[in-house]
Formats: sequence, C-alpha cells, structure tokens
Amino acid sequence: MSAGVQRRWQGLLFVAPFLLLYCTILIYPLLKGAWLSLYRVDLFGGGTFVGLGNYGRLFADPVFWQSMANTLLLALMIVPLLTAIALALALALNRATRGAAILRGVFFSSAVLSVTIVTLIWRFVLAPDAGLLGELWTAAGWAPLPFLSDQSLVLPALAVTTIWWSVGFPMLLFLAGLQQIPHDMYEAAALDGAGRWTTFTKVTLPALKRTTILVFMLQTAAQLQLFGQSQLLTAGGPSGASRTAVLFLFESAFGRWELGYASAAAEVLFVLIVAVTLTQYALTGRPGADNAR
Amino acid sequence: MRADRLSPVAWALVLLGAAIMLAPLVWTVLLSLKANAELVGNSGAALHGPYTLQNYAAIFGTSQTMRWLLNSAIVSLGTTAGVLVLCSLAGYGFARLDFPFRRTLFVLVLLGLAIPSQAVILPQHQLFATLHLHNSYPGLILPGLTTSFGVFFMTQYMKAIPTELDEAAMLDGASRFRVFWKVILPLTVPAQSALAVFTFLGSWNDYWWPLISATRSDMYTLTVGLAAAQMNYAQTSGLGFLMAQAVFASVPIFIVYLIFQRQIIQAMAGAALK
Amino acid sequence: MLLFAVLALSSCTRADDKTHVYLQRFFGECGAEYGGKTDVAKAEGECGIITTVTNAFNATDGKAVVDTNVIAWPGYPQLTAQMAARDPPDVVSMHENVISDYASKELLEPVEPYLKAAGLDAASFTKASQEGVTIGGRMYGLPWDTHGGLWHINTKLFAQAGLMRGGKPVLPSSPQELLTQARQFRKRTGKPYLIQSLVGDPAGAARNLYTYVMAQGQPVFPDARHLKVNTPEGRRVAEFFRQLTAEGLGTSNMDTPAAIAAFMSGEGGIYPTGTWMIGQFQQESATPGRPLYGSYAVMNYPRLWGQHVIYVGGHAWVVPKRERTPAQKAAIARLFRFMAQHNYDWARTGHLPAVTAVLDSPQFRALPHRADIAPLADIGRPLPGYVRRQSAVEGIVGEEMAGAITGQKSVPDALATAERRVNEFLAELD
Repeated sequence: MSAGVQRRWQGLLFVAPFLLLYCTILIYPLLKGAWLSLYRVDLFGGGTFVGLGNYGRLFADPVFWQSMANTLLLALMIVPLLTAIALALALALNRATRGAAILRGVFFSSAVLSVTIVTLIWRFVLAPDAGLLGELWTAAGWAPLPFLSDQSLVLPALAVTTIWWSVGFPMLLFLAGLQQIPHDMYEAAALDGAGRWTTFTKVTLPALKRTTILVFMLQTAAQLQLFGQSQLLTAGGPSGASRTAVLFLFESAFGRWELGYASAAAEVLFVLIVAVTLTQYALTGRPGADNAR
Repeated sequence: MRADRLSPVAWALVLLGAAIMLAPLVWTVLLSLKANAELVGNSGAALHGPYTLQNYAAIFGTSQTMRWLLNSAIVSLGTTAGVLVLCSLAGYGFARLDFPFRRTLFVLVLLGLAIPSQAVILPQHQLFATLHLHNSYPGLILPGLTTSFGVFFMTQYMKAIPTELDEAAMLDGASRFRVFWKVILPLTVPAQSALAVFTFLGSWNDYWWPLISATRSDMYTLTVGLAAAQMNYAQTSGLGFLMAQAVFASVPIFIVYLIFQRQIIQAMAGAALK
Repeated sequence: MLLFAVLALSSCTRADDKTHVYLQRFFGECGAEYGGKTDVAKAEGECGIITTVTNAFNATDGKAVVDTNVIAWPGYPQLTAQMAARDPPDVVSMHENVISDYASKELLEPVEPYLKAAGLDAASFTKASQEGVTIGGRMYGLPWDTHGGLWHINTKLFAQAGLMRGGKPVLPSSPQELLTQARQFRKRTGKPYLIQSLVGDPAGAARNLYTYVMAQGQPVFPDARHLKVNTPEGRRVAEFFRQLTAEGLGTSNMDTPAAIAAFMSGEGGIYPTGTWMIGQFQQESATPGRPLYGSYAVMNYPRLWGQHVIYVGGHAWVVPKRERTPAQKAAIARLFRFMAQHNYDWARTGHLPAVTAVLDSPQFRALPHRADIAPLADIGRPLPGYVRRQSAVEGIVGEEMAGAITGQKSVPDALATAERRVNEFLAELD
C-alpha cells in the first residue's frame, strides 16, 4: 500500500470505532423503525404490510397535528429565550471573581437534576392550590392561575420549567466561546476608544457567532424532542394542549402497542427536525464549515 | 476573564435570576428534612422546624440502595470514558484528516441529533435482546456511547486549534496517532471536561433505557431503583422521602460538576494566558 | 474488559437446591422495615403486607423460594420488554384491565391448572374479581383484590351542611337531588361539594363516565372494537358533571396530590377516588388535631340513574408463558394457595378481598368502614374481557371527559372525539 493511499484511509480508522457503534445501535434501529412504519405491527412480531397506511392515518389524525403544533410552539417559546438568557449570563459571569464562580455554579445547578425531579419540584411551584406561585399570587390578592390546567397557560408553564432546567449547559458553551476570543481584540477595541456597546456588537458578538448558532441548533433539535416535562407534569393535558410529538409516539408505542404507527410518527418528527435544523444551518452560514479560519 | 465591572442593574438582575434558580432547590432540601406526616396536606410546614434526617436514613435502609448507587456510578463513568475516547478519536478524524466519504459520514453523524431516543428505543431493545445484553453493564452503557453531539462538539473544538501545531509535529516525523495523542489531545482538556460533565449528567439521569433494559433489581440504576422503591401516592404521603431521594440522587453529580468546574476554569484560564 | 469481569461477577449462580419462583411486582420496596419479618398480621400497608406474605411463604414452604423483584409502578413497559426478550418472570402483579392485552397475545398461561393444584375453586372468588380475570371463558390470573371508585366523605362538613342523618352521610339518589344537596353544601360551608382531580389524571373522569353509563343499562363497549358513549346516556352524565363544575360545586384545577391534600385539609365534602386511599384517610381521622380527625366516612358511588353498578378494577397475579419444570409449577400453585389464604391481610390495605369467604367474614366486616363498601364486590363491574388496551382507552376517554367536565370542549364534541380516537385504534388491532 502506498503512503498516499494509507494516509487517505488513516482518517477512517479514527472515526471507525464511533461509526461502527453508531450505525449498529442508532442508525440500524432508525432504519428498522422506518421499515416498521410500513407495517401494522405490535411488539410481538407478525405484522401486516400496510404500505403508507400508517402515514395516511397519521396525517388524518387531529391529535397528531395538535402534538406537532404544540411541539413547534414550545420550541419557539424556549429556544430564543433560552439562548438569550444563557448568553447574558455568560457575559455577566465571565469574570475571575469568586462571586462569579459561585453564581456560575448556581445557574448550572438545575442541570444536574433528572427530569423526574425537575417536574416533581415544578409541580410544587406551578400547582394553583399548593404551589409557590399560587401562594405568591394569593398573597398579592389575586386568584392563583391554573398553570397546569388552562389550555393557554400550560405551554408557557412547560417552557419556563424547561428554561429553568436547561440554562446551565448553553451558558457553559457561551463561557467557553468567550474564553476563545483573543484578548488583543478587546485591547485593540479599547485603543480605538470603542464604548462598551460597540465592543459588544463589533467584537464579542461576531466572535460568538459560531457558538450562538451551535447553541441555537442544538437547542432546537433537543426541544423538538421535549418529552418528560409534558409526560410527568400534565400527561399532555388539558385536552391534549401540552401533548408533544414525542409524547404522542410514546403513548402510541407503550400505551397502545402500535409500533408501526408510532414509528411513522417518529419518522415524520425526525424529518421535521432535520428540515428545521438544516434550514437554520443554511440560513446562518454553515457553522460546520471552516468559516472561522 | 473580564475585569470590567458589571453595572448595578445587571448585578441585580443576575442575583434575581440566581434566586429564581435556587428557590426551588432550597425548597426541595427543606422538604427532604421534614417528617412525611407533617407535610401531608401542608407542604408549607417545611418553612420551619423541627427538621429530621429520618428520610435519608430510610433511603439507606432500603436494602439495595448502595448497589444501585454503584451501578449508576459504573454505568455513568463507563459511558463518560467511552464517549471521551470515541468522540476524541472521531473528532480528530473529522476535523483534521481527509478520507473517502468524510463529508457524507459527518452529515450521517449530525443526523443523530435529530433522532428522538423514544423513536428508536423499541428496535434498540429488540437488538439488545438478540445480543443477550439486557441486565448487564454493557447493555446499559452502549446506547449512551452513540452521541452525535459529542463528535460534533469535539470536531468543532479541534477545528479551532491552529493546524500549525500538528504540521510542526508531523515535520518532526511523528505519526498521526502520536500527533493526536501528544499534541492535540492535551489542548482539548476544557472541551473534554465539558463533554464529560454533560455525558455524566445525561447518563446518571437517564430513565427510560435503564427502566426497560435493567429489569432485575440488582442491575437497577439509582433512578430506576428509587422509582421502584416508591409506594403509590408518594407525592402526598411520602413527600419528604421523595424529596430526600431527589437530593440523594443529585448530590453525586453535583459533586462531579464541582470537581470538573475547577478543571474547566483552570483549563480555560490556561488557554486564555497564551 | 473490566466491565465484562464485573458483569460475570454480577451473574453468579445460586447454590441451593430449592426451586426458585421469580415474582415481579409493584407496591414498593420496604426491605428496611420488613426485610426479614414474617408476621403478616403485624404488617401495615400494601408494601409491608405483600413483603411479609412472601417472606412467610419462604419461611414455611421448605421446598421453594420466592425471589422478589420490585419494579416501578405500573411495570408494564418493563414486563412487555421482558416478554419481547423472551425472559419474563414466573408470577407478576397485574391490573385486571391489562390482562386482556397479554392474554390475547397468548403471553399468559391460563391459571386453572394452578388453581386446581392449589385446591382453589373458581367459585370461591367474588363476582367482580372473577369477571376481572376471565377472558373468553378462561381465567388468566389469581384474583387478589377489587379496587374501585368510592366517595370519601368529610362528615364534619356534611354535618355543617345538614347532610348527616343517624350518623351517616346523606347521599343523593338522583342527579337533581345531588345538585340540590351540593348547592346546600356550598351555601352552608362555602366549600365545594366534590373534590375532583382532573389534571393529569384521566382515570377519575373515565370512572364517572363508565359507571353512570353502565348504570343506565347501556354497554360502554357493545363489541370489542367500539366505544359507545356519545349517546343520550353518555351526554347526560357528561352534561351533569359539567354543570356541577361550572356552578363551582366541583373543583376543576387539581391534580391527584392536590386533591388528596385538599380532602385531608377539609377543603371539600367528597373526594371520589379509589379504595387504596382508605388506609391513609382512616389514619388521618384517627389522629387528633388533624382537619379530618373523627370526621371521615367512605361510601360507594351513589346510584344516580338506573341500576346501582360501579365500574371497578382489581389486582391479580398472572403467570407469563415460558418453559417451567414440574417442580416450579407445583411451587407456583403452593404460592397461590398461600396468597389466597392471606387475602384477608391484603384486604387490610383498603382494597376489597377477592375471596368471598373473606368478604363475608366478621373479621373483615369489623374493619373500619368495610361493611359500608363491601357491596362493591357484588355491584362492581369491570369492562368486558374482550376489550383490549383498556388502560390506553381509559387514558383517552378520561382526557376527553375531563375536557367536557371543565368546559374546554363541548360535551358532544368531547364524547365524539373519544369515540373516534378509541375506535380508530381498536380497529387497527389484529
């Protein structure tokens, strides 16, 4: 084997261990799911080939559409706000003081909790009769808001819960991004007599572009898969107003054993997430490309 | 690290935010320190004494808690170690080397970000059943290793490292693997720490996969075990116990975070000195 | 490699000559309190009682050992996964309304041979519990209890509202009477008559609809593929609870923990929920200083329309299909016999016993409130055994019914949607 060919294939050796596992444990089940989506099948084998029948049924199912709309709405409520808050926190806490270090820990602390614990805690914040907010509202002389049983309040309530839970990791990513901005850029800006705002918009923000896009896309992909908060806080209610797409497919698969139908829903959601993130990728100048260098 | 001072308004906002972050956590800890009976129908009792450690004693009284803690530690550490190794290798390959189908394969990896885990969990379960991997540590660890995010993150991070470094080493006659091991890897410590924390958290808190894969109680992870130990309507009659479980399950990962936070900051400060 | 070594360690073999029966159940883990105890009579609560029953079996049987695997409630995703992996346990706790799912797939063994070997006659079980485990004429589980909806009542508030007579709460016998009493209750106490948990808890709303549609003599499921509730009977029930809620006579923003807390703090007259809360409420009513002290009663759902029947469920012990030695089969039969003998102990949890002799025993009747609710074992009705996916169906029916009760949807819309959603997926079953 010539040195050139060897070099060409060397890279594959580095990525092969991951790809092997990845294809076996994730891509194969995904393809199997795509195949199952063409069948009417439960967990215990057999099954009847129904072609695109599951998809036809899905597109005629108002509950599915409601869950897709809820999912998109939640992502719209969560992602921009979460990104902005994480960025603001990173900017505020990117300093070498002890206080900043402690506060970074505080804002990351919720991220160590599992979704079961997060929902348990937030139930006691949001429930109108026993919740923290209910007590505050009552103390202020207002009637407590039924956050978990009002169709128009339940999605914002889930969004707030999610932001509280998820703010830590994007903040870390922004902090890491800030660390990578060369110090001389700030010195140059200072020499030019740039004010705080000018420095922020002309130096910091452009340098954080890649991180911002990264956070935005990761959060979009993650929040379109939102599941536990909806399942555990409201069971998708009231009247399906907080049922997300993943909760829909979970109920189909584990509650009704409709493996084919659930797989069809999963494929549609998968395509939607790919489409949304690819659109973001195209609109924002390809963060994966080598534009940073 | 910045040196300029934050405006008082900004400080006030940050502190308000911190209060919002902490209030539910403090509330949880207070509830965990109260006798269950006192909390029935009146969770406000948590605001005043007497406090007790009886709920924590009850956790340790459950015969298998320490076993579940060990299982969680093995699974989370195993997953974290595996992810760091696999993602560093793959990240280096994607960031630095050219090989056939590189772009296609990278896109294939990115697709993973769009796969909801609930969508593949049943075919995965069938696969693991065929391989006889259920109720085993490999069975609990392997699904956690397929993180597209990890590969993406490491690739991006390695791309940002100047290529002059490896080129110089290559000129000295070092092999690709040696360059990766001796030159690049040490520079990625901050990224490794962040990825380690993230992976460890995800693995420690994972619920659905261990729930259906580990069905024998000696293979439960802590999240599954604590859920199994609960009796019906624990939210009313055993609120203090439930909250103690929550605190108990979270403390190990909070400690992990604290350890890594110092490393991240040191690594970052080191990077900033250059 | 280290991992595989640990794995090898963790799957070491058992070294005794006893037959092992692998029992999987929910009801919680309480090894700390009851780990080595075998005195069933002294145990309290679901977990304590079932733990001591199995401990006692292990201590007395001599030939077999029950290995208990406690699983998070309700345990069906895990059981389904175990069955798909062809490694199910020997004996599993199961709600009667999911038995049909597994039985129709031939994943469970009919238990008549075990009952016969155990000397247990099918006729010795109560009507409700027999029906609950019978599908297509075969019994698929050892009946363990009947649990269903009850009206838990705050008698202090009832007295304040003038609704006590001879020490017993006065319950309505028609919808109109219920409205009158509820309004009177609201006026005199300033509190809601009904505490309803309608948030994230479809079971309660579904129970109301099933119970009162059945009572009017209309089958909720005329056949295996059709839910039928968008009828004059169904709409009547939904409209009625909707009116109660709209008038503020029933609460609408509570989830289960909130409803339980509200009832225990004396925030309402009646909390309709299951048998499983009796123990805890009883304890509250026996504790001086508590809002519920000395003011708790529990009754069956009243008859409001037609016949007095109530939708119920129950727990059973099922035997998943797999290869078993004759010794294991004999051990399962002995375990069944032992459990049936301890059915009275289980009934101390609040659930109604599955064994008729226990239900009729003076010992059981002497337990607090049990005489009042014992008729449930007779008038209790599970859904017909041919209805599959009952728990998923209940989820849908309850969600839509809750939407109708709280006024989020119109009654005909909610009931029609429930029918459409349920019928659509029942049509897909093979």
